Amino acid sequence: MIHFENAAPVKLKGVGGGFWVTLDTSRSEELLITEMDKLFTKLRHLAVNANVVIDMGDARGHEPLFSLIKTRLIEKFEVGRVTTPPQKQSVPTQRIRQRDLSKGWNHHRSDVLMLRGRVRSGQKIDTGKHVVIFGDVNPGAEIIAGGDVVVLGRLAGKVHAGNPKNETAIVFALVFDPTSVKIGSVTAAGSEEISHTIPEFACVKDGGILVQDYMKTHPFRKMPWPEPV
Amino acid sequence: MEGKIIVVTSGKGGVGKTTATSSIGAALALEGNRVAIVDMDIGLRNLDVVMGLENRIVFNIVDVVLGRCKVEQAAIRDRRIENLFLIPASQSDNKDVLTTAGVERVAKQLRAKFDYIIMDSPAGIERGFENSVVSADEALVICTPDVSAVRDADRVIGLLYARSLNPKLIVNRIEPARVMRGEMLSHEDVLEVLSIDLVGLVPMDEKVLISSNTGTPLVLQSDSKAGAAFRRIARRLNGEEDLPIEMPVYKTSMWQKISKTFGLKP
Ligand SMILES: Nc1ncnc2c1ncn2[C@@H]1O[C@H](COP(=O)(O)OP(=O)(O)OP(=O)(O)O)[C@@H](O)[C@H]1O
Ligand SMILES: [Mg+2]
Repeated sequence: MIHFENAAPVKLKGVGGGFWVTLDTSRSEELLITEMDKLFTKLRHLAVNANVVIDMGDARGHEPLFSLIKTRLIEKFEVGRVTTPPQKQSVPTQRIRQRDLSKGWNHHRSDVLMLRGRVRSGQKIDTGKHVVIFGDVNPGAEIIAGGDVVVLGRLAGKVHAGNPKNETAIVFALVFDPTSVKIGSVTAAGSEEISHTIPEFACVKDGGILVQDYMKTHPFRKMPWPEPV
Repeated sequence: MEGKIIVVTSGKGGVGKTTATSSIGAALALEGNRVAIVDMDIGLRNLDVVMGLENRIVFNIVDVVLGRCKVEQAAIRDRRIENLFLIPASQSDNKDVLTTAGVERVAKQLRAKFDYIIMDSPAGIERGFENSVVSADEALVICTPDVSAVRDADRVIGLLYARSLNPKLIVNRIEPARVMRGEMLSHEDVLEVLSIDLVGLVPMDEKVLISSNTGTPLVLQSDSKAGAAFRRIARRLNGEEDLPIEMPVYKTSMWQKISKTFGLKP
């Protein structure tokens, strides 16, 4: 491996509440320790109780070096905590940013069947896609979808989402009043209760169908960024 | 000018198709139109009884469609109302004797002779329904304020749209007192599901039964609320589209009105 003379084997950077130490692990252990001693001696009382992150690039295989440095920093310079860089964050953070900015949906072919109008008694919509309906689904009408069913109106007919076996599918309606709901292979009869005029959704939970207030409990609130479907 | 064929349908039986057909037909004739009422309920004819004309039947609609007689020979003139004619159903035939092609041929002749042709269709959505709607220019859907009638009307509306007809709705047998007590759907509930243009609200009225039993037109009875509602429906169909629709009302006491204002259930 080529080394440039001026590339420091140990680099130190102040980060909020502590220090970030970057080690060039291709250099000898002695050199790294001597260099680090020099830097921390200069810091003196600033190092006391500080959090130190030891960044060795790909840390795999350098665990003995890490623990050696850790003990030395704590005993000799009285630093607080010594850790390796937070693995989980650094790599995926980069990926998240890329995906967030990539606007992949510009090239996305939709799996959604979007309809406008009223689905009347005796009419049946049967598709492998997700279904979005701007309108009402009357009693006696039937919706069968491979994915989710979204009704922007009153859902009073019969609905089967996630046909045949997708139990992660959901059924959403502004007025949720179906005669029966099936998600995947789980079925439930409509409730006798007077329908609320709040948006509700149904999903499978513990082998049964659960209907909940959408605004309070919808399952998408924790998604990190919007995803095309 | 060519006449207009209006079909009266419902899906569910017994909701008032025959009552509506005879009343609207009579009212349109009273407005000065030449009107033919056609009973398409083959095998279960009853328009002739409701109109008090059963004794005068010689030929029927099946005879006309099968070419056994002319339209003029089958059309029976009403006893009281000028320019009102009935073409009765046949009592004996099976409804499969008619073909849509045959009905369409006769429809053409009827349009040439009358201003309005009102067709009373049988309950259900089978062959008889098909024959009734095949030549229609307009469709009326009769619905009563109950869940099963609404469901069937909805089905029929879908089928009418599929045949390029834009159906209009009549809600029949409304009982305002029961609606108020929450025992019956309101016409708003019905409209919310069916969402088509409304042409009239007809109240429950004991005069309807009396009128059909005696064979006297409902619309000629000055004290019949249902008759008055049907007369207004006829005027609306006859071009007075903006004639307001009257709500059947139940006279409530002051106290009930006040409690309603505050949204309390009496
Ligand atoms: N507004 C009304 N008030 C009271 N009774 C009514 C009213 N409308 C209809 N009826 C009664 O309801 C019964 C059924 O009415 P009608 O025969 O007109 O229905 P229909 O739809 O033609 O029935 P079908 O499907 O058997 O042909 C009759 O006895 C009639 O007198
Ligand atoms: Mg009838």
